[in-house]
Amino acid sequence: MGDFGALLDGFATALQPMYLLYALIGVTLGTAVGVLPGIGPAMTLALLLPLTYSLEPTAAFIMFAGIYYGGMYGGSTTSILLNAPGESSSIITALEGNRMAKAGRGSAALATAAIGSFVAGTIATVALTLVAPTIARLAVQLGPADYVALLVLAFLTVAAVLGSSPPRGIASLGIGLFLGLVGTDTLTGQQRFTLGLPALADGIDVVVVAVGVFAVGEALHVASRMRRGPIPLVPAGKGWMTKDDWRRSWKPWLRGTAIGFPIGTLPAGGAEVGTFLSYSAERKLSKHREEFGKGAIEGVAGPEAANNASAAGVLVPLLTLGLPTSATAAILISAFQSYGIQPGPLLFQDESALIWALIASLYIGNVLLLVLNLPLVGIWVKLLQIPRPYLYAGILTFAALGSYSVGASTEDLVLLFLLGLLGWAMRNFGFPIAPAVVGLILGPIAEEQLRRALAISQGDPTVLVTSPFAAVVYAALVVFLFLGWWLRRRQARTEAELAAVVATPAESERSSS
Amino acid sequence: MGLLALGVFTLVDASTIVAPSSVNTVGPQAFPYAVGVLLVLTSLALFVDLARGRGGAAEEGEDVDPTATTDWPTVLKLTGSFAALVVLVEPLGWPIAATVLFAGAAWSLGARPWWRPVLIGAVLAFTTQVLFTQLLDLYLPAGPLERVSFLG
Repeated sequence: MGDFGALLDGFATALQPMYLLYALIGVTLGTAVGVLPGIGPAMTLALLLPLTYSLEPTAAFIMFAGIYYGGMYGGSTTSILLNAPGESSSIITALEGNRMAKAGRGSAALATAAIGSFVAGTIATVALTLVAPTIARLAVQLGPADYVALLVLAFLTVAAVLGSSPPRGIASLGIGLFLGLVGTDTLTGQQRFTLGLPALADGIDVVVVAVGVFAVGEALHVASRMRRGPIPLVPAGKGWMTKDDWRRSWKPWLRGTAIGFPIGTLPAGGAEVGTFLSYSAERKLSKHREEFGKGAIEGVAGPEAANNASAAGVLVPLLTLGLPTSATAAILISAFQSYGIQPGPLLFQDESALIWALIASLYIGNVLLLVLNLPLVGIWVKLLQIPRPYLYAGILTFAALGSYSVGASTEDLVLLFLLGLLGWAMRNFGFPIAPAVVGLILGPIAEEQLRRALAISQGDPTVLVTSPFAAVVYAALVVFLFLGWWLRRRQARTEAELAAVVATPAESERSSS
Repeated sequence: MGLLALGVFTLVDASTIVAPSSVNTVGPQAFPYAVGVLLVLTSLALFVDLARGRGGAAEEGEDVDPTATTDWPTVLKLTGSFAALVVLVEPLGWPIAATVLFAGAAWSLGARPWWRPVLIGAVLAFTTQVLFTQLLDLYLPAGPLERVSFLG
């Protein structure tokens, strides 16, 4: 097996002390941002994009991969101890995990989340290793028209599935596509939407947009309506997973993995759908159904595993087709681009050493994360206690630093703030941010492929649908949209059930106090 | 109300799309047209949603109090801190300008007493300056501190 040899070579690269150090920096940073409210892996990667100017690709991607996986681990800590998800994909963990913490079983919840993440992350990475090269080999034969179809698929599924309602998601996508249009057209040299400003002639840098709408937007959103007073942190408590906890955790871990990975690979999900499905599966299968809503360990183990498995799943379309299905993945695409690498089916041929080192570093990162999150959880808890004014001032400072170091221009800082205002407005009026980032990064790629396809066919638009693969994709799109709608409904139903379950103990708490 | 703003924004958007001109059949204007149409259509869909009484809920967050009304003074103070950075970063350099930004932002968000955010901001700003210019080889202006060897 050539792939296996390549993977071993990847390990040989990734295990060099220098790269191990980058992996360690990555997972540490990733966990930190996962733990901290207000910043997530997508934003951190965006802030670190300027590093791609000075760091060699292997080191950068090993670090980025560490941040990507680390963010998933860190999010669970916040959920369990603060009853507030650090990431949208940890909403479910917050429910059961926080109840466990309040019952004094916080460390058992943290342990099952960390070990579950490790189990799921490792199994899903193995699945990624097996599946990705095969898909890449099949995908090499795709033409421009097929790409247009895939990109349309990515746009619509991301817009329709992320966020509260499809029109809002598509509006957000449209805003991102528009921002991607600003600048000089690559084929004809025409300036578009630059308003005659020279600062806009080269387009708006991805870093500035992503950091603006994520970081500055979040800081403004929080500033406009900050929750005052102390942070409602639950102490982790003593103790460890009992034998019973292990017995009740291992099956949910595996089931969560089995649910999460495929959902991650489909361009119809995003990590949180998998966690909801896993939660409702565990609730149905559990022998301790009465504990759900009061701190059932299965309700932490399953969804956390699903969360990490789908994070690995997202990498499959990303590495084989160049198709990001989450904001974080979209930022990774632009990191590839800044090295002049076009992610897509050729990646496994042209950049084989880099990709296999990246995949190997995912295995290593998982082990590092387990070590970081089990014994050292106390440090992360300290991080949660950072006073909020300093936290958000720090986020703003790093946002400014990131965008300024791209081009050392104050115009970028002004733009950053304006985009921050846009991000704030979008948050305030319930528009999801992720589709805008995906649109921004994929828009230019889509336009190029579209025009290439039409140039080959000499302006005949039927070429877009007559290619057999493209036709299949459009058919799949219909199926995906339906599936996405169905999953949403399932999720909404689970949420409704949850609300009912959670409301009952909450009321009894109130009456007892 | 915000949706109204978005609708107006999209319509203005679509009208500016006529601006680029070219001779090609599939020129630089085709894709903008598609985006413009998409934006107009979604804004219409959103108007319909709104008319049916399905407004958007503000995004929730762990540090966000959903019941609070918009705190404009804080937002303005924050904007002021950011404007200070934009004005100061070139004449005074990153370390000083970033200290002002951090201290101003933390103070507006409620950090007291005033010297604590200034101190933390200064440490952060100088650390990032050294890290970026010395370790990562990225440029940041040092301003009047240029002659200090490890900052430039």
